[in-house]
Amino acid sequence: MNSDKSKKSPGKAVKELFALPELGSKFLIIGGGILLLIGTVTGVENREQLAFSWLLSYMFFLSICMGSLFLIIITHLFDAAWAVPFRRINESIISLFPIMGLLFIPIALLALFFDTPHFYEWMQMGDSPDPALHAKQGWLNKPFFILRACVYFAVWSWLGLGFRKWSIRQDKDGSPECTHKMRKLAYAGIYIFAFTLTAAVIDWVKALEHSWYSTMYGVVYFAGSVWVTLAATYLIALFLDRSGPLKPVMGNRQYHGIAILMLAFTVFYAYVHFSQYFLIWNANIPEETFWYVKREIGSWWDIGILIVFGHFFFPFLMLLRIDIKLALPIMVPLCAWNMLMHYIDLTFNIMPVLHDSGYVLHWLDIASFAVIGGILAYYFMKRFSEAAPFPIKDPRLGEAVAETLHEREHQAQTAAAATDGGAE
Amino acid sequence: MSESGSNEAYGLLAQFDTPAAVMVAAAKIREAGFRKWDVYTPFPVHGMDQAMGLKNSKVGWFCFFGGLLGYTTGMCMIYYMNGWDYRIEIGGKPLFSPFYAFPVSYELTILFGAFGSLIGMFSLNRLPRLHHPLLKNETFKQVTHDKFCIVIETSDPKYSENETRKLLKGSGSKHIELVEE
Repeated sequence: MNSDKSKKSPGKAVKELFALPELGSKFLIIGGGILLLIGTVTGVENREQLAFSWLLSYMFFLSICMGSLFLIIITHLFDAAWAVPFRRINESIISLFPIMGLLFIPIALLALFFDTPHFYEWMQMGDSPDPALHAKQGWLNKPFFILRACVYFAVWSWLGLGFRKWSIRQDKDGSPECTHKMRKLAYAGIYIFAFTLTAAVIDWVKALEHSWYSTMYGVVYFAGSVWVTLAATYLIALFLDRSGPLKPVMGNRQYHGIAILMLAFTVFYAYVHFSQYFLIWNANIPEETFWYVKREIGSWWDIGILIVFGHFFFPFLMLLRIDIKLALPIMVPLCAWNMLMHYIDLTFNIMPVLHDSGYVLHWLDIASFAVIGGILAYYFMKRFSEAAPFPIKDPRLGEAVAETLHEREHQAQTAAAATDGGAE
Repeated sequence: MSESGSNEAYGLLAQFDTPAAVMVAAAKIREAGFRKWDVYTPFPVHGMDQAMGLKNSKVGWFCFFGGLLGYTTGMCMIYYMNGWDYRIEIGGKPLFSPFYAFPVSYELTILFGAFGSLIGMFSLNRLPRLHHPLLKNETFKQVTHDKFCIVIETSDPKYSENETRKLLKGSGSKHIELVEE
């Protein structure tokens, strides 16, 4: 492989390719930003809505970052050659953790310094007589909340930037030492990932209703996160494959692999979320059931049913067949559907705290989504075009590409054999 | 039946030395439109499915319908037992609810799905069978060592001894022989 050529020309090509999406992301940031400004100055009512909208969109995009981190870690741990060709996509996403840290600041400010009674209710309650809260005050107090957030972002940024650094360094000389470094990061990373993800989602989403108990909460968010990341990765990889940068390396094996994992996480998500519901339903203790009872009021009931069928049954039945995993007219809408379903799932978790009578789509939801999505998309494209579009000197790349090349050669062969049918 | 017709042939066996050679030959035989034939190798050869033009196995359907049957069985069984035949109210819970019936139905889905796969695999492979004509062939034994074989059965509608022999020779085999029934 000629590294000089493949490093320079695709870099430029990628930048040209991203020209239009980049413009789009800027429009999103500016348009959404203006709406958000209106939201912040027009009163307390909107300010609380802004806090929830921002949190919802933030958790959605955090899902994709955390899911990407997980995919990187797990493919290093299992030494999965097939996943090397599209690794740069996820590496670019996890390099966004410092920006995620900055985007968290509005949540912290709104929770700590503004009059938002429903947004982390425990913060307004002080040293309360509520025994459920009193017992949890060792964890749920303001200084520790901030400290923990700092720790999460420090650790995630360290992992995210570390993986990316070693991967890009390997582009120069292909030294196996870089692979070893990434593996070591993955060994430590898998534990750090599990603990920080669980703690973060308890802090930022579950603690919205501090008196609730669930031991499955972190896993449910984790399962949904990886699921939505696989859908996003499928779409981004397909776009970059069709438009050029990833064309030399992406093959059926890669798409099939992502879709297999998607099927697995469809089932896994349903499994853990059902377990959470089933235990609470069976135990029938008011401290736990109130969470679901609240979510059966008004249109939240319909949203819950939509999650059962749209988040599990529909994608599950669609993804069962082998050939569908490669059928783009089905997979592309399905990936988009999965992303919508994850957003709805997070809405179901977060929004009933504010809108207890039913689902309300507020314009600040859209504005927050546009701003956070726009900023992250902008920096993703920037990071992605900074390096080669795939790890050009990864020792495992040859293995992954060999399969694709073999496939293409076979297709060419059969096409040739069909036309002349001659012997050697 | 193996004793009676010593002149009756099971098929034509062609031996190859490398996986690449047998793969190229397999592609040619598929092009020629044969249906009753198979490739025998000492280890799995990647890409052979495509070279032979094999479609995805039908075992998946057996598994799917087995699973469906298991799920329905579980739900119906629990409804019959707790909701109809022997009603006991516990903790104010409904007599039947899909939530508490789910874990058992789910287990039965897996169990019946596995049964389906097993039965499907056996019946599609026509197993169990006690004997196969290839097993007494001396050349075929090398397939478990370092040789690769293609066998085209005489019952294939496209089979004709001279033509098929010519095709196998043309596809690069150095050793071709007739396998007795």
